Amino acid sequence: MSRSQYVRANYQVNATPQLKMLSDDQCENVLNGALEVLERTGAEIHSEEALEIFRKGGCWVDGNMVCFPSHLVEWAIRSAPSRIVISNQKGERTMFLEGQNVYYGPGPTNTYTIDPFTGERRRAKKSDTVRAAKVIDALPNISFAMDCGTVMDVTPTLSDVHAFQAMLENTNKPIIHWGFGIDQYQDIIDMAAAVAGGLEALQRDPFILLYSESSPPLRHSVEAIDKAIFAAKNNIPIVYTPCTFSGGVAPATMAATLVIAVADSLVGLVAGQLVRKGSGFVMGGLISTMDMSSTILSYGAAELSLLSAGLTAVARYMKIPMFSTGGCSDSKVIDTQMGIEAAFSILIAGLSGANLIHDCSYMEYGATSSLDLMTMDDEIIGMVKKILGGVLVDDEHLALDVIDKVGPGGHYLADDHTMDHFREFWAPTLINRLRFDGWKAEGSKTMAQRVKEKTQDIINNHKPEQKSESVLKEIQAIVDRAEAREANKR
Amino acid sequence: MPNYYEEISQNVITGQLDRVKQLTQQAIGAGNNPVEIINQGLIPGMSVVGARFKAGQMYVPEVLMSARAMNAGMDLVKPLILTKDIPSAGKVVIGTVKGDLHDIGKNLVGMMLESAGFTVINVGVDAGPEKFLQSIKEHQPGVIGMSALLTTTMLAMKDTIELLKEEGLRDKVKVMIGGAPISQDFADEIGADGFAPDAGSAADLCKKLLA
Amino acid sequence: MSNYYEEISQSVISGQLDRVKQLTQQAIDAGIDPVEIINQGLILGMSVVGARFKSGQMFVPEVLMSARSMTAGMDMVKPLILSEDIPSAGKVVIGTVKGDLHDIGKNLVSMMLESAGYTTINVGVDAGPEKFLQAVKEHKPNIIAMSALLTTTMLSMKDTIELLKEEGLRDKVLVIIGGAPISQDFADEIGADGFAPDAGSATDLCKKLLA
Repeated sequence: MSRSQYVRANYQVNATPQLKMLSDDQCENVLNGALEVLERTGAEIHSEEALEIFRKGGCWVDGNMVCFPSHLVEWAIRSAPSRIVISNQKGERTMFLEGQNVYYGPGPTNTYTIDPFTGERRRAKKSDTVRAAKVIDALPNISFAMDCGTVMDVTPTLSDVHAFQAMLENTNKPIIHWGFGIDQYQDIIDMAAAVAGGLEALQRDPFILLYSESSPPLRHSVEAIDKAIFAAKNNIPIVYTPCTFSGGVAPATMAATLVIAVADSLVGLVAGQLVRKGSGFVMGGLISTMDMSSTILSYGAAELSLLSAGLTAVARYMKIPMFSTGGCSDSKVIDTQMGIEAAFSILIAGLSGANLIHDCSYMEYGATSSLDLMTMDDEIIGMVKKILGGVLVDDEHLALDVIDKVGPGGHYLADDHTMDHFREFWAPTLINRLRFDGWKAEGSKTMAQRVKEKTQDIINNHKPEQKSESVLKEIQAIVDRAEAREANKR
Repeated sequence: MPNYYEEISQNVITGQLDRVKQLTQQAIGAGNNPVEIINQGLIPGMSVVGARFKAGQMYVPEVLMSARAMNAGMDLVKPLILTKDIPSAGKVVIGTVKGDLHDIGKNLVGMMLESAGFTVINVGVDAGPEKFLQSIKEHQPGVIGMSALLTTTMLAMKDTIELLKEEGLRDKVKVMIGGAPISQDFADEIGADGFAPDAGSAADLCKKLLA
Repeated sequence: MSNYYEEISQSVISGQLDRVKQLTQQAIDAGIDPVEIINQGLILGMSVVGARFKSGQMFVPEVLMSARSMTAGMDMVKPLILSEDIPSAGKVVIGTVKGDLHDIGKNLVSMMLESAGYTTINVGVDAGPEKFLQAVKEHKPNIIAMSALLTTTMLSMKDTIELLKEEGLRDKVLVIIGGAPISQDFADEIGADGFAPDAGSATDLCKKLLA
């Protein structure tokens, strides 16, 4: 009976679908291009502290202009960890940002949000981040939290702090979060430390990644670069993510756009490594094209997927974890365009092996967040994860004995082998596969309607695991402290 | 004592055939009424399975494993009771029509009907009107179920119904049809009593037709 | 003679800077009225460009090439006319607000305004209320346009408007705002005269405000 009486040498099993947007030679070429740009053209740095760090580190500094010797940048690339493990808020190590592990999540700081009950497009409130965090907490394929819209009904310079509180109180998943400035970053780290049980516990098993966005091309504001320095000083990993778009802040060719994006990421990397060798660094980020009719930065373009996968290939070549983009759309409503753009970008980002894939909530070219889109993305991600798993080929899965037993004209529905394996199929939760009559009997609902119902059901009924009263009090005290500080500033 | 019923029921739900056989044997040995073993153990377990299948919590292979476990229990109990006392939801003759070798849909319906407590006589594939007629005469079913997967072979369904009329048997038996090309319109057109779009609703349809 | 106008116009549309310069020089040498060169050649071409952009037949880089060609022609003709005869749709001071280094959106608006015949004075990025005030005093623009990409920096738009009020200049100049986080509601809230969601509509807004 047993076929495995032999050992077959050099047999590769479980090969998963392969996508490598750039060859190693192409990656090397892009990286060398970025090193050349940093050494020859340099970058404009607006932070005194950063200028001093770069000067001491061996850069050529002239006013705000900094040129980076290639050996220094290469040292920083080698110095950064190739793997960062992120925990959930209970201290359990859950996200392994290493190799080609893939984790999906939503995005931050949209100007508008779609109210999941009324459908209204409006400014986000703190209660919207509460809702977002609940949905994030409930969806199995959403691995980390982001704020899903800038909260506008609180002290304006503390919407970052309030959004963080809303997330801490409504999900235990890891959080990637931004801040306006260093003061707010301190608040955020303090709040996170309160949850983790102290700063050292947070540093050891971080559940947060700080997020900083620079303004390409080759220009780094005080806030952007100081955040990279602050994160390194505090030994908390950072996502440094320039927002690079072809034709606007980069040449209208994809290779050059990659060069600018890599160069801008490396500026943040060098700053962090000079402050603390080995500090956690994840490179970003958002890379796409500018639509030359509407001038929007497209979140649905084929180039978004191509460029993101290309940047991921370069990050992997450098052995630095990557923060990529997917599950987003330029569409203004839940419609076919949104489904097409979200599915393609989730699939390609997944195949590219990017470690963190954000913006699974971005519609309307990022201007607006949608929890419905996040719910739909959760389903698409489930499907994509199944595809990424590939086709398992071994004796058990070849099932030759079963085929022989059932024989010609038989069926496998009630076979033990079917029982053992049919649950390996991906089972949809929103995709509808009912027969026509069944679908009609359930109200002839479209995907958009089913998505909406699920989102609303989560918001109404999902109960995230609550933190202790004392931790919640500590968090509130930090928010109060921040409010007092901002009141003083005014 | 009621423990047996509860345990049998649970094991039918989880589809553990050997355990169901063992428990049923023990229940018989302990002197439980065989009819009660069926009505309070085997069948309630299967009803739960039916409900969970409808709610999308269980899948076809699991339902079939449960049905198999239930039937194994039934086979142990049945010899101990008079035939007329054996609970049956009704008798159904089922087959794929002449010229059509498609088996799986029809078998799935057969298994789902058995799971729901019907006695099923399966006349197989490529079954012409005469075969159905013969089976009706022999088994006196409440319902015949015809399956076809091709637009060409589905026309043979009408021939069977016409033959039943000629033989004066059309009033004695309900006719239900199904298969990919079949619709309610076609069922109405050829004078069938019902159409089921899938295996799960075939059981419901039978219940309705025999109510 | 009219050939020059037609050819200049065509070359503006196709964005051929050298050709526009060459033709404009020839037209000047041929003794054509400089004001006519502007009105019937350069501006006419640019209006076609504007219309084609709106209908999606031309793209931003092409519009900017056309605008650059038109401006090159203008630069040759301007010295030959009294400044009050130079056609201008209006004067706009434009900048990105304090604390904000985002440049490209503001520059795009500026280029589109120039394409539409406005004179723009670009005060750059990180421009505080005083900088805008100074530019208003110095250039006496019809409009000031403020850009912000961050929800924090957009608050400084209000400070600029307040300062203009304090200085008694609010009535002398129209204020328009834009940038990713800006909305009509916010414009109303801080007492701006208008909001444009994109570079193309910023031009339309200016036209409307100055009509």
